[in-house]
Amino acid sequence: MKRKFDHPAPSAEEQLTGPKYWRSLDELAGTPGFKAQLAREFPEGAAELDGVDRRNFMKIMAASFALGGAGLAGCRRPEKFILPYGKSVEGIIPGLPSYYATAMPLRKSAIPLLAETHQGRPTKLEGNPTYQPHGGAATLKAQASILDLYDPDRATAHTKGGQQLNAEAVNALLDGIAKNYAAGNGAGLAFLADESSSPTRQRLVKALRAKFPRALWSEYEPIADEPPVEAAQAAFGRPVKPLCHFAKAKRIVSIDADFLQSEAGSLYYARGFANGRRVAKANDPMNRLYVAESALSLTGSMADHRLRFATSHMLAFTAKLASVLFPEVAGSLAPYAEGLQVPAKWIEECAADLLAHRGSCLVVAGSHLPVEVHAIVHGLNSALGNIGTTVDFIPTEAAAPSIATLAAAIKAGSVKTLVILGGNPAYNAPADLDWTALQKSVPEVIRYGYYVDETSAVNPAATVQLAAAHYLESWGDARTVDGTVVPVQPMIQPLFGGLTQIEVLARLAGVANPDSYALVLETITALAGAGTKADKAMQRFLHDGLLAGSAARPVAVRFNQSDVEQLFKPAAPLATLSKANLEVRFIADVKADDGRFANNGWLQECPEPITKISWDNAILVSPKLAKELGIDPKGSLIQVARKEEAEYSMGKEKAPVFELVVGGRKVRGPVHIQPGLASYTVVVTLGYGRSAAGHVGNGAGYNAYPIRTSAAPYAVTGAQLNNTGEFQMLANTQEHWSMEGRDIIREANLEEYNQTPTFVDTFGMESHAPSNLGAKYTVESFNKLSPEERIKARAEISKDIPRGNSLYKTPQFDGHHQWGMAIDMNVCIGCNACVVACQAENNIPIVGREQVARGREMHWIRIDRYYSDGNIDGEAFGGEGNKALPEDPQVSVQPMTCVHCELAPCEVVCPVNATVHDEEGLNTMAYNRCIGTRYCANNCPYKVRRFNFFDWNQRKLDQLYMSQLAEFGMPELVAMGKNPEVTIRMRGVMEKCTYCVQRIQNGKIQHKVRMAKAGTPENVVVPDGTIKTACEQTCPVNAITFGNLLDKDSAVAKAKARDQDYEVLGYLNIRPRTTYSGKLRNPNPKMPGYNKLPASRIEYEKKNVPAAHGDGHGSHDSHGSKKGGH
Amino acid sequence: MSKIFPKSANKLPLQIVIYLGVLAGIATAGVTYYMTPKYTRVGYAPVQPVPFSHAKHVQEVGLDCRYCHSNVDKSGHSNVPSSQTCMNCHSIIKTTSPLLAPVRESYEKGTPVPWVWIHQTPDYAYFNHAVHVNRGISCVECHGKVNEMDVVKHSQPLSMAFCIECHRAPAERLRDPKDVYNLDSKRLVDQGAEGAKIAEKFHKDWKLMPPQSCSGCHR
Repeated sequence: MKRKFDHPAPSAEEQLTGPKYWRSLDELAGTPGFKAQLAREFPEGAAELDGVDRRNFMKIMAASFALGGAGLAGCRRPEKFILPYGKSVEGIIPGLPSYYATAMPLRKSAIPLLAETHQGRPTKLEGNPTYQPHGGAATLKAQASILDLYDPDRATAHTKGGQQLNAEAVNALLDGIAKNYAAGNGAGLAFLADESSSPTRQRLVKALRAKFPRALWSEYEPIADEPPVEAAQAAFGRPVKPLCHFAKAKRIVSIDADFLQSEAGSLYYARGFANGRRVAKANDPMNRLYVAESALSLTGSMADHRLRFATSHMLAFTAKLASVLFPEVAGSLAPYAEGLQVPAKWIEECAADLLAHRGSCLVVAGSHLPVEVHAIVHGLNSALGNIGTTVDFIPTEAAAPSIATLAAAIKAGSVKTLVILGGNPAYNAPADLDWTALQKSVPEVIRYGYYVDETSAVNPAATVQLAAAHYLESWGDARTVDGTVVPVQPMIQPLFGGLTQIEVLARLAGVANPDSYALVLETITALAGAGTKADKAMQRFLHDGLLAGSAARPVAVRFNQSDVEQLFKPAAPLATLSKANLEVRFIADVKADDGRFANNGWLQECPEPITKISWDNAILVSPKLAKELGIDPKGSLIQVARKEEAEYSMGKEKAPVFELVVGGRKVRGPVHIQPGLASYTVVVTLGYGRSAAGHVGNGAGYNAYPIRTSAAPYAVTGAQLNNTGEFQMLANTQEHWSMEGRDIIREANLEEYNQTPTFVDTFGMESHAPSNLGAKYTVESFNKLSPEERIKARAEISKDIPRGNSLYKTPQFDGHHQWGMAIDMNVCIGCNACVVACQAENNIPIVGREQVARGREMHWIRIDRYYSDGNIDGEAFGGEGNKALPEDPQVSVQPMTCVHCELAPCEVVCPVNATVHDEEGLNTMAYNRCIGTRYCANNCPYKVRRFNFFDWNQRKLDQLYMSQLAEFGMPELVAMGKNPEVTIRMRGVMEKCTYCVQRIQNGKIQHKVRMAKAGTPENVVVPDGTIKTACEQTCPVNAITFGNLLDKDSAVAKAKARDQDYEVLGYLNIRPRTTYSGKLRNPNPKMPGYNKLPASRIEYEKKNVPAAHGDGHGSHDSHGSKKGGH
Repeated sequence: MSKIFPKSANKLPLQIVIYLGVLAGIATAGVTYYMTPKYTRVGYAPVQPVPFSHAKHVQEVGLDCRYCHSNVDKSGHSNVPSSQTCMNCHSIIKTTSPLLAPVRESYEKGTPVPWVWIHQTPDYAYFNHAVHVNRGISCVECHGKVNEMDVVKHSQPLSMAFCIECHRAPAERLRDPKDVYNLDSKRLVDQGAEGAKIAEKFHKDWKLMPPQSCSGCHR
């Protein structure tokens, strides 16, 4: 067993130095398990070998040395070859990456991308900066989608009844169908396609319908991420969809809409939202977000005011809000608002705030909500004068016939040939359709899909499986959320001869020898308009990655109240929810989506942003419901969905397994208690529990589709939860890498910030830790300096401070650049896109569920999610311990990665100098020197170092414990996707964030080469913005800024000069190069539940000055002067 | 007791110490000589699939390094030419030479000629040609006089010590940028006092500061 040093408990005085956050209810309560966890550098189990203690291990090792002898395997390195091209390839310079514009299509929108390719292999995706609304950002899923290209489980051949088909046979088959059905005008032919925004597909579907007027074209997506067109059709008399401009909105009301993560265009919206929230100096404008929701979404976690209640009550809430805003409609809406149990004052004050911001506010509703809600919301935005300012309406298409129409046709026996294009209906069709039986009853099924999945397995004998090409292997096109046409450009020939959807459609439409490129060219030529040369227009389109000026033009709309009234069904009484009548809310998983990304290891391993569970989904219940179900912890030991009886308490969440019953349909899954949920709403995430996803996705989580019907696809009432008495282990990273509740995140309300812009300096130890300031400054004199002077002074101090008479020299930072990073916590939405971007850029391996549960995940950057609720009274903080679980916590998220301390604690403990500083301020890791003592991780106060406990890259995750007996080597397909600029780390070495040193070095070299060729070799300083770290580049909200601190005009120097910039754990005198900005909240003083301080600060002030709540600064300063001497 | 240990045994401890010392010395010397890149790498001259002679092509034909290694000043890798580059000339001269059969085959089929890799840096070391040749470091510094080699051989150890030595004193290895690809040119410091002065001036004006920390080469 690992020995553990017992740190002395902090003195009462020491406890008074920071605001308290708690990340889990365990931490809050200070359970013995949690306290044990704090004392370790890695969670328990992370550093131990199963069943072998250190002594035994040494014995075994000694024996194997003796047996092996010290023989030399060979003196010369093996012969290797250089394999140049036979014929030179235009534009390819070996060693230099090429970038091509493409786009990732997803349902009815797309993310424009730039793909980095190395000799034809795409290795990394970035947002396309030419598309202004995204500004070069990309989402979590877009970042991860490249891994699907190299998925060994993807469909690798076209098959018919299990027999492989060659390309000619496939063509003959499709041509045959086209010919056979031509006579009957397509009678008996049916299509089931996924949604798409591709103009080429739209054109081909039109052609197909013209050719086969009697064929049925239906579309199905399990998740709706755009507001229903019917609502807009009724409200405005034409098929339009809203396009919100969050940047212009000063007040935002979100009705169950997670517009920052799950709605179509979330990237577009998140960026706009952040622009309206970013504060550079005092008195800058900042938006205010009101959220009413049932689950705790990322949008909810950013809310200034959050109201939680059931999704099935959202119509009542919307009706009530409309009645309060516009009393003239109160009469007609009254029946719909009846029975709503929401504080009246909340709605009134929220409405007053909206009315005070007519034309600069915005109301948005979740796409899953009923059409009535959307109709009212359209009316509200119209009446508040928001149309044309904060929201535009752009043309869209009426929805195609749904899967229900198709199901009826199949049942009627009128479908002889069914072509399934994409999607996975056997897994995700509504349960009441009994899709498997329907599909079996169709004589001929052509299944076009990326995986051999559940749908392929329904009736393999009668199914033709066509392997789909990945979008990085396809020619195609798509539209972004604002309608801009973007190209889908192949980076590589289809690895397994996959087809594109438009090829299949074109062949069925009777086009002889269709070619995807030619099809797209035709579309683009038509879209570019007459007068442009086809090849020029196409070249421009592919170069820019978008068709300039193709964004949809907003149409003038006029709200038509009488038509909307037609839409309303008679009001039904609101369901009274209770333990016996639960509401089930279905949401698409943030990572697996509707199940399509279930086999993506990067997404599976990425912790869910709020629950922090990786590799599984859970049934989320509110603390109140948990108590009623009897799974809440007894006594004062408050825990989240587990009791202390688990063998491994940390990282492994021992979750009770419940059976969720709705209308006779059942599903079993582990229960996780999630504060912030509506009391009687049970949240289930879709996309897990796949049975034929592949090696990664199989067996991850439970499948919630079996209880989801077409009548109530997003929220259903009348459910019960039954305890099965069983438990399941969930890998939860929630408490990993804890930082002991210091003043890590510093928050203030906007009002306080405007009065005291430097509020971050009044926190914690820094306010009275003169050793930070060298001999030259005192706290007072340092605070008097201007921000620019402070940076300078800090740079000076960092060189002066002796390291406690140690033998180590203070590093000389004499490079041409000094790298640093600033993270704006005010806009960070916690979406985790940076986590996966970093993983893709830096060849970070996945480790699997078992290893995550032991705290061995390898992510270099993590998003810490903290809760605070202002009523904290935990044993850990000297109180008697909470008796009830908090229901309404405030959420704060913080990206945490190596902060590149100038006086890094990890460096002085490394016995082999494997981690040292370079002259430009990077804390570097030399992997080939590292011998794996893990002392550095032990000494890292941020807990950001990651150790390769196994050879994650070269061994299979299920054979890790077989050591040398396991198969060695990376599959060639997987190796293709690795970034050649970054070393693949082996077992036994430490790794961590490098500030993307490969990008820094290549950026510097490219700059030097350019300058030398231009005749100005003296110009060695890289211009600001040239080098971006992977996390910075992909951040949807521009929260991360990286650059050269010596350049006073660089974005990072400016960000660091802001008053609210602070160092996390700065009092340790380690001078982190990454600094954070204080988080601001903008609550409305008139709202119920308003507090002058954020919840975390209330706790902070309570602990510091029990007598004087509220007035933070004076009291803290006195505290500071009291302790000023040390 | 004296029976067990004869008198001569008194010298034994000293003898053992000396013996071990000598042994350790020999071992150290052996390892230093035989197991470092100076011995294991220098002189490596494998047989190539095509007996290409740099000496002939540079000295007789007068080709510049960059005719074939065309991206050496742009990319981290100095590219080995594609067979197409060879065929620029060899589609006209020596079109039937049996020695060139692999090149012709490669050009026709698009398959690579498997040139044996001589100057290998380890996977964890990232050397960049472009930045060196653009800032006054000639090919000859690492590759030796390739222009005189009929068969290319490894002429320098290319060990970390070799790299660091130069990174510590870059001025001593500098050439005038126009001489970088002239393998017969002299280093500036070898061109008398005037040259040394120019080298120092370049060092200063170009703000040469070759990295001496890990991040320069290891990522």
